[in-house]
Amino acid sequence: MALIEIQHVNFQYPEKQERVLDDINLTIEEGEFAVICGTSGCGKSTLLKQLKREIAPHGEKSGTIYYAGTALEDLPDRVAASEIGFVMQNPENQIVTDKVWHELSFGLENLGLETMAIRRRVAEMANFFGIQQWFRKSTMELSGGQKQLLNLAAIMAMQPKLLILDEPTSQLDPIAATEFIGTLQKLNKELGLTIILVEHRLEEVFPIADRVVVMEKGRIICNDSPQNVAKQLKEYDYNHPMMLGLPTPVRINNALKVNDVVPLTIRDGRKWLSKHFSNDVRALKSGLSEKACDIVLEVKEAWFRYEKNLPDVLRGFSLQVHAGEIVSILGGNGTGKTTALGVLSGLFKPYRGNIFINGKSIKKFSNGELYRNNLAVLPQDPLTLLVEKKVHLEFDSIISVLKISKEAAKEQLDEIIATLGIGHLLDSHPYDLSGGEQQKVALAKVLLLHPKIILLDEPTKGIDAYSKKIFAEVLQTLKTRHVAVVMVTHDIEFSAQYSDRCAMFFDGDIVSEDEPKLFYSGNNFYTTASHRMSRHFFDHAVTSEDVISLCKHNQQLEPTTSPVNV
Amino acid sequence: MKAFEMYHPIVLFAYFASVIGLSMFYMHPVYLIITCTAAITLSLLLNRKSFLSGLKFFVPMFLIAAIINPLISHNGEIILFYIDYNAITLEAIVYGFAMSIMICSVIFWFGCYNAVMTSDKFLYLFSKLSPALALVISLTLRLVPRFKYQITVIAHAQKTIGMDISAGSPWQRGKSGIRILSILITWALENAIETADSMKARGYGLKNRSTFSLFIFEKRDGFMLGIILTLLFTNILGSYFGVTTYYFYPTFTELTVTPISIGLYISYASLLIIPIVIEIQEAIKWRSLKYNM
Amino acid sequence: MQAQSAARANNFARKRLIFSSIIIFVIIPIVMIVGVTMFNDRKYNLISMIIVLLACVPFFISFERRKPQPREILTIAVMSAISVAGRAAFIWIPAFKPVTAITAITGFAFGAEAGFLTGATSAIASNIFFGQGPWTPFQMFTWGILGYIAGLLGQKGWMKSKIALIVFGTVAGVLYSFCMDIWTVISYDGLFSWKRYLIAISTAIPFTIVYAVSNVIFLLILAKPIGEKLERIKVKYGMLNN
Repeated sequence: MALIEIQHVNFQYPEKQERVLDDINLTIEEGEFAVICGTSGCGKSTLLKQLKREIAPHGEKSGTIYYAGTALEDLPDRVAASEIGFVMQNPENQIVTDKVWHELSFGLENLGLETMAIRRRVAEMANFFGIQQWFRKSTMELSGGQKQLLNLAAIMAMQPKLLILDEPTSQLDPIAATEFIGTLQKLNKELGLTIILVEHRLEEVFPIADRVVVMEKGRIICNDSPQNVAKQLKEYDYNHPMMLGLPTPVRINNALKVNDVVPLTIRDGRKWLSKHFSNDVRALKSGLSEKACDIVLEVKEAWFRYEKNLPDVLRGFSLQVHAGEIVSILGGNGTGKTTALGVLSGLFKPYRGNIFINGKSIKKFSNGELYRNNLAVLPQDPLTLLVEKKVHLEFDSIISVLKISKEAAKEQLDEIIATLGIGHLLDSHPYDLSGGEQQKVALAKVLLLHPKIILLDEPTKGIDAYSKKIFAEVLQTLKTRHVAVVMVTHDIEFSAQYSDRCAMFFDGDIVSEDEPKLFYSGNNFYTTASHRMSRHFFDHAVTSEDVISLCKHNQQLEPTTSPVNV
Repeated sequence: MKAFEMYHPIVLFAYFASVIGLSMFYMHPVYLIITCTAAITLSLLLNRKSFLSGLKFFVPMFLIAAIINPLISHNGEIILFYIDYNAITLEAIVYGFAMSIMICSVIFWFGCYNAVMTSDKFLYLFSKLSPALALVISLTLRLVPRFKYQITVIAHAQKTIGMDISAGSPWQRGKSGIRILSILITWALENAIETADSMKARGYGLKNRSTFSLFIFEKRDGFMLGIILTLLFTNILGSYFGVTTYYFYPTFTELTVTPISIGLYISYASLLIIPIVIEIQEAIKWRSLKYNM
Repeated sequence: MQAQSAARANNFARKRLIFSSIIIFVIIPIVMIVGVTMFNDRKYNLISMIIVLLACVPFFISFERRKPQPREILTIAVMSAISVAGRAAFIWIPAFKPVTAITAITGFAFGAEAGFLTGATSAIASNIFFGQGPWTPFQMFTWGILGYIAGLLGQKGWMKSKIALIVFGTVAGVLYSFCMDIWTVISYDGLFSWKRYLIAISTAIPFTIVYAVSNVIFLLILAKPIGEKLERIKVKYGMLNN
């Protein structure tokens, strides 16, 4: 039976011309795991909110949504609140109370359950989600992953029949994200829970979904099984931005135009590769990257701890960065890589060791000098830099500090705006922008200070594949201007594709560093999906481009391949 | 876990409300001695660390408060000497000390209260009075540490674009501070909308909301509450009949030693030492359990 | 719809008035009489604590009966938390606290009741972090009532000009100091004397000045931008309908 039936739903926000949802028709069966995807601004989040009556945004709506045969508006309050659960993007924002146990019981209190009933359900949830250990803790002591798990548990305690999730893993690190998706899969498989998930990290959810819905400009352009969607999307528009977000095996399959069952997982990808291609050419000729540029940033044996009585976070951390180089620092949570960035940026002072910027010790810079024409930091949350009510005012505020002539400032600003492609955002409120747009605005602000070195903290967190690509292009432009970029990231794929050097941070220091090809092909677990898919077959192929071009160098084997060859 | 803290919040609150109320009220020397001894003993048992570190602050305060009184108040009959033609009387000095003992004891009681009544117990009680406001407070308690953290994050980010709160003239520092606050407020308000949505999504605002807590009112809680209330009313009754009143001016009242007054002293002392007795009992119980194991 | 909600609001206002009246005209006098007769007119410390607490009750009751919406609850919680956490941003200047200013700004934007609740919640929350004491009820009431007054003035539209903000900030600083000094005096021995009150006020002059100055500075700089932010939130998320 259809649990959700969306019929001809249109929606537009007040005082806006275009429709955010344009004649949406969609049926979700009971027990289905449906994934909705699309680039930012395609209307997927708006669609999700329409399914949850309590938080549906104000605006002009037409069409009907049926929940188990009843129009959503006609559902009793209690049913609407408890049977449709909604998990949001930001783990922090959803937590209401200050104690874990209270958060678990919050929804049940709202439903007016008896103490004994609440006690039982809370206990059940704590057991199922394995949160007994932190049951009595304060909610602020939890990690991001634990918080999101708590949000999920708090909603599951209300025993929903439909679980809706809006990019629940975008703020989590990869390990926590995988764990979270695993829990969702368990809920779907073991309890038959119907799940509608909006995601842009499709690598893991694509294979486990029963249905994938792709949206574009408020319309549904594909709605089918993952297999078929992978094929349809290719036929719909080969250069569709969503193509970038598909799992690596799918992207490789699509790029090579092989007509076969589309591989969704790494395991299938490996088989697919051996089945369709030979590997006479095992490795690409590597064009040695020219080096020997000036060293602009150097850390020598830095030791750091936050307080005298706390353990060391950095233990002899050393790093050299050359002009026009993009360096990625990778590593798990709690290894100290964010602290390392703090030390690089001059926010934390190491108690031993030194940092040199253009050969001059960081201690000899005044703050004004250090952060002007030298070093800039783009924080993880771009909103920490934005204060004004209009984007263009942000730039004015920084220009007023710079003390340069209006004409010169305008020229610089225009150039930066053109580079980043943010001309259309100037009159918006920073908080009305998407994550990727906010980041570009913050970057533009930082670039006005003419940095020679830019430090980035998790620049790809929470932004979709297409925005990542745009961001990478900006980095490439900076690179041509000899700006050095150092980023701390969890994003293996991004670092493999766009950096010149990757460094693995562990236990307070860098334990290995190399150019991405060598770095990732040396790792077995901590490596890209492309490498995991191809390492039995090719050498040093770490990005999907590598695999694709290696495949093209080799022969296609099967007669089942498409007649139109490369 | 301290044994006394394990009682139900209502019992704990009743205890502290009675004890603090009565301590503020009694100026009778015998009562003062009982109050002070009990307050110090309990402080040592329940929050030794902060009590001892607070002493360096309280002892001077105690002395200053005691000294100020004879300088201001010149009542009393036993004149010791004159300063600028103003009489310094023994009554005023003793009264000053008595005052100081009372104030310090009240502060010590509050110290114990703060150690025992953790935020969740306080909120539990408050939610009985006003569930909506208790929720506001609970949210506030959750947000404060989050905002503090965010302030440092924003301060760091601002520093790297040359708006440094830790350097420059006070005017510039103040300006950076306000800038940080301004960023924080925008950020906080926009994020709060999502929290509000999360509340609504989980059915906040439905009729007949219930409140859940981990605290269970057991038999022993009822028993203890009974004892506390009985002792409280005995003392109030005693005060009503004037047994506990004591005057310092014009000169000291004579101390009465009658069966009734002794009974009242004992009842007051019994009320105050309840937690101490509980702690000692518990210690003995654990020791015997250990030996029998 | 609008008429209905207006009628409801009216109803609430009437109920609130009844509750406040009962408390102000019945319960508080009873406490005073009991206090005076039973305690021989010399235990202002205990009685004043009780009276001040009782004075907050009507506001709590009306908030409770109004069934506040999550967004209102959040606004009050956020503003209170900011005034508590905001102290961290100015920790290097003693007594330089944004609490009064932020409470007042909330009052300007959201009315007297929200102002009171923000002030009272800030007091409770900050004392949960820094330790409750006998002064908690006084702080609750003083900050609350300052927020309340700010709300009344703001609704009349009087708080748009800089001069109004300067006057309000100064008066609020002085009032805060004076109110807290009443407690300082009473707490000493449960008695109140003008002589001691004057001494207390005069020794607190430096603090009073810092309070007033910080209020004025915070109000002048923050009132407009935060006011705009609160307005934006009201418009963007449809909070105007209450």
